[in-house]
Amino acid sequence: MAALQEKKSCSQRMEEFRHYCWNPDTGQMLGRTLSRWAWISLYYVAFYAVMTGLFALCIYVLMRTVDPYTPDYQDQLKSPGVTLRPDVYGDKGLDISYNVSNNRTWTDLTLTLHNFLAGYSPASQEDNINCTSHKYFFQESFRAPNHTKFSCKFTADMLQNCSGLVDPSFGFAEGKPCFIIKMNRIVRFLPSNSTAPRVDCAFLDQPHGDGRPLQVEYYPPNGTFSLHYFPYYGKKAQPHYSNPLVAAKFLNVPRNMQVVIVCKILADHVTFDNPHDPYEGKVEFKLKIQK
Amino acid sequence: MRLKTPEIYSVELSGTEDVGKTDTGDGKEKYRGLKDKRLELKKNHQKEELKKEVDLEDHKLSIKELERKYGTNIVTGLSSTQAAELLARNGPNALTPPKETPEIVKFPQADGAILCWIAYGIQYFNDKSSSLDSVYLGCVLALVVILTGIFAYYQEAKSTNIMASFSKMIPQQALVIRDSEKKTVPAEQLVVGDIVEIKGGDKIPADIRLLSTQGCKVDNSSLTGNLTPSLRTHDNPLEAENPWNKMSTSPVGTATGMVINTGDRTIIGQIASLASGVGHEKTPIAIEIEHFVHIVAGVAVSIGILFFIIAVSMKYYVLDSIIFLIGIIVANVPEGLLATVTVTLSLTAKRMAKKNCLVKNLEAVETLGSTSIICSDKTGTLTQNRMTVAHLWFDNQIFVADTSEDHSNQVFDQSSGTWASLSKIITLCNRAEFRPGQESVPIMKKVVVGDASETALLKFSEVILGDVMEIRKRNRKVAEIPFNSTNKFQLSIHETDDPSDKRFLMVMKGAPERVLEKCSTIMVNGQEQPLDDSTAEAFHTAYMELGGLGERVLGFCHLYLPADKFPETYSFDVDTVNFPTSNLCFVGLLSMIDPPRSTVPDAVTKCRSAGIKVIMVTGDHPITAKAIAKSVGIISANSETVEDIAKRLNIPVEQVSKRDAKAAVVTGMELKDMSPEQLDELLTDYSEIVFARTSPQQKLIIVEGCQRQDAVVAVTGDGVNDSPALKKADIGIAMGIAGSDAAKNAADMVLLDDNFASIVTGVEEGRLIFDNLKKTIAYTLTKNIAELCPFLIYIIAGLPLPIGTITILFIDLGTDIIPSIALAYEKAESDIMNRKPRHKKKDRLVNAPLAIYSYLHIGLMQALGAFVVYFTVYAQEGFRPSALINLRVEWEKDSVNDLEDSYGQEWTQYQRKYLEWTGYTAFFVGIMIQQIADLIIRKTRRNSIFQQGLFRNKVIWVGIASQIIIALILSYGLGSVSALNFTMLRPQYWFVAVPHAILIWVYDEVRKLFIRLYPGSWWDKNMYY
Repeated sequence: MAALQEKKSCSQRMEEFRHYCWNPDTGQMLGRTLSRWAWISLYYVAFYAVMTGLFALCIYVLMRTVDPYTPDYQDQLKSPGVTLRPDVYGDKGLDISYNVSNNRTWTDLTLTLHNFLAGYSPASQEDNINCTSHKYFFQESFRAPNHTKFSCKFTADMLQNCSGLVDPSFGFAEGKPCFIIKMNRIVRFLPSNSTAPRVDCAFLDQPHGDGRPLQVEYYPPNGTFSLHYFPYYGKKAQPHYSNPLVAAKFLNVPRNMQVVIVCKILADHVTFDNPHDPYEGKVEFKLKIQK
Repeated sequence: MRLKTPEIYSVELSGTEDVGKTDTGDGKEKYRGLKDKRLELKKNHQKEELKKEVDLEDHKLSIKELERKYGTNIVTGLSSTQAAELLARNGPNALTPPKETPEIVKFPQADGAILCWIAYGIQYFNDKSSSLDSVYLGCVLALVVILTGIFAYYQEAKSTNIMASFSKMIPQQALVIRDSEKKTVPAEQLVVGDIVEIKGGDKIPADIRLLSTQGCKVDNSSLTGNLTPSLRTHDNPLEAENPWNKMSTSPVGTATGMVINTGDRTIIGQIASLASGVGHEKTPIAIEIEHFVHIVAGVAVSIGILFFIIAVSMKYYVLDSIIFLIGIIVANVPEGLLATVTVTLSLTAKRMAKKNCLVKNLEAVETLGSTSIICSDKTGTLTQNRMTVAHLWFDNQIFVADTSEDHSNQVFDQSSGTWASLSKIITLCNRAEFRPGQESVPIMKKVVVGDASETALLKFSEVILGDVMEIRKRNRKVAEIPFNSTNKFQLSIHETDDPSDKRFLMVMKGAPERVLEKCSTIMVNGQEQPLDDSTAEAFHTAYMELGGLGERVLGFCHLYLPADKFPETYSFDVDTVNFPTSNLCFVGLLSMIDPPRSTVPDAVTKCRSAGIKVIMVTGDHPITAKAIAKSVGIISANSETVEDIAKRLNIPVEQVSKRDAKAAVVTGMELKDMSPEQLDELLTDYSEIVFARTSPQQKLIIVEGCQRQDAVVAVTGDGVNDSPALKKADIGIAMGIAGSDAAKNAADMVLLDDNFASIVTGVEEGRLIFDNLKKTIAYTLTKNIAELCPFLIYIIAGLPLPIGTITILFIDLGTDIIPSIALAYEKAESDIMNRKPRHKKKDRLVNAPLAIYSYLHIGLMQALGAFVVYFTVYAQEGFRPSALINLRVEWEKDSVNDLEDSYGQEWTQYQRKYLEWTGYTAFFVGIMIQQIADLIIRKTRRNSIFQQGLFRNKVIWVGIASQIIIALILSYGLGSVSALNFTMLRPQYWFVAVPHAILIWVYDEVRKLFIRLYPGSWWDKNMYY
């Protein structure tokens, strides 16, 4: 019975709500008078100002404690990731396919490469020095201008046949495409003890009948990343640093069938057996060349 | 023998008539009264039916007509085939148990689960490879709902089992004549027309119409709530309104009867069905939780819609925005709370069960705490349900007898010669006997064969004089006239135990005025004196005084028959009465009452100081009711009723100003004529009210009247007649020992020891649980914001997601569960029994200050603290806060495997993902650390932690330990399981949030300090929850 009486009609509810919004008897708006609203707002403004201040202070202290040149931890960056250009992603990872006879299918791919290599033109590498030592280029002091460190030059022409200078189609037109392999930067990372890290590409499994291994031409020769590009000292110390590259030209990709190619980086400190991370120390991609 | 119509020898009370009136005669009037109350038509109909059924005609029919009507024969009984047929047609002779569907506290979880699946549906529709997170979440939510439901059900089933064990202990058997043979069959198999035989001590198995009795008396107390045994024979139509289901007969004599109604069609069955027809209101805690759900849902939906609009205007896809909307709503669901509330309630239920309060319905645990009015039945609840000698009058003096439960302390003067004579009469003029084989049982607990008054006298004399049976043996009974309603006395003639005295002793007891009529002398100090006007006046004064106390008064007299006229060989004939029955010697008066339980007055006082109004509602006589009410403090010593004032001032009742009276005694007759408004007025005007001579329906009306005052009403009772009111009440409390099954079925709580004082414990526990639930909810709500903010920031600022859904679940259902249950063990902050009961509509479980303080103060602080941990982890791994802003799209792209951080390092998708999980773990740890501070501040709402004591509640520390251990296990133990999204966190990150935790604690201490310093201030109003 009591419950029955509690039931209010819609108009009553509306009336109550209106009364709540503006109560002419007490001058209350939404349950508070104007001055009360002012007070409570003032309190919240002050409270949040203090909270924001404290938060800002925390972040400020944090930034002060963080080293500007080297990250404190590299827990996730034990081994560098490897990326591929051109990079076209399908449902599951890199998936590149084109038709040799139809140049519209591969112009986008070559365009990607051209754009990517634009960063390696002599003009954009102007600020970097020429290195020939093929040994680790350790720099403990900031001897370069503007309190920075030197970076070694890597120009597109080092990729020779895959530089796009000789063959603007990067071999795509003839069915022997060039792929550029890049190793991710990690601050102060030394890939190996003495020998230069090398790229090695192969079929992931042997899909075609004759069982011939993949024939690859690497540029620079042997597919190595010269050691003088390492270690990397971070964006602040080496603002003009650019990653060394390796181009791989696949010579005997079977036509009209999808193959899976894996390019690994062979170095003492680069691992490529992380089951969770398909791009750590290696890059896998599907390739289908049609005729 | 059977032609005599014995009646109780009550003078002040005539229970039989009360019964008749309340149960039958008033039916029409009651019905009218109900109509005034505008009860729903259905209820009316039901009660009308009840009324109709009560007017049984069967007692007026002759045996022949009966035989014809029911197709039976009183000598041979029914045939087995007939019986089987009838059994199949009418069903077993058992009450249909009330259908109880366990009411699971509904939480938005269920909706949350559905929303999750919808979200997944949209995602899947959008992108076939979308993650299954929302499906998992939906499943977990659904699972939580199901598991908690099962848990609550299990809890309730357990108490139901305890209940069942009460009634199922002895399967009831009935002796029935079928096929001309006496057979023992289970009472359930009785059918209409069966001829049953009832022996002393049996429960009557169904409504029967008595055919013959051998001095059979029926105790109807379970039905009427009165102790007065009603004697039922077929001579008197009203009396012969035949005995009902399940009443214990005072085990005197035997009876034969014909079954006229079975199962649900019995009177008791109808009252029980009336009870089940009464709608059960939602429990206060259920209302509070609903209110809380509304608040949470309101917050969730408004934030959700706000961010939906923001997301759309930030050029997110509408589909994505809908997923955000759903995400926000789901993130607001306090997943663990349902489990926590259920466990908390059942912990309290367990604690109460230890104190003999069995809680049948978990939610009822709290209801008792918010109770503002207790409507208590008198008999059996407030009183011992046992007639006990309370006063004696002899030698012109009133003596007080000990009425406590064990009777141990009889202090009145026993040296007088009058007492010697009186005690002899009490002992000899009594047909009650102890059932044999109870030598080791304390006297007060022995089972007696005899009616309530005689039992009282027997026990009284046994305590004072020793072995009564031995005394009776020495004073052999030679003749006896049993009590009957025309004589209103009982008489017996004995040989004396003095061998030298050859006289016979005639002893008599009965209605005092009848006994006095037969006397010409009175014994004072052992000497016989002529009965003059002054002694007669003294007698009347004493009689009135004792009667005014609501006690049942008996007069005692004796006469030594002269040996010359009545030699040893004299043969007494009770039919012709060949001995004198006048000019006796009056010895004394003795009055009996069903005394209050010794714990009740104290409990009533405690209820009073706790702001709970105690109202007595009884079927008993107003004078008795008032006397008991006074002795237990329901009417306090210095308050008067209108009638009292009128009597004191010697003016008519009408002239008394109603304002002067604090107390009121209202009878069912008066109540019947009242409009609901008048009843409301009555309930508000008087603080001390006694309702007497009420019917079950009127009890219902009273409860409804109280509920109209916005009161939370508790009803205590034991009889079947109480069951509708028990059901209607916000919380029905039945007596475990004295209570009838119907009462126990209708009740939410059962006092296993029948001790009213247990209610006080229950109130205390209930209030404590309310306070502690407040703390638990505040604790649980707080981190909701800390879990929601990351998502909002993720949408607006485009940071990598700071905390994932699974991680949130591990907080809500992992680290936070034990601490929030631990708050249930928190002691009260102040004396909760000295404050008023909470107002149902004003003192909410979750009020605005609680929600605002939890969400906008502590919750926000927590979120900031957790963000600091998050930013620290990202910054130290290479991503500074500035680099994170608007990184979301690139960060989440599977196709970006060389994302640059602030140091120029490049990250693959998995490396980022792993960092994101580390961020989740860091954020999780940040919240967990601050939840420890939150837990500590929630221990009190007003007092400082130091006043409350940090270590008094050990369970809190168990909770904190569990939080830390679970977090450690998640991070270091399961850090390698990638599906759980936890990683091994560097040890120092566990401490990043500690300053924030301390800040939370300091802030709350300051809040409490100001609340204590400036009560009633702006601060108090806005910050006290």
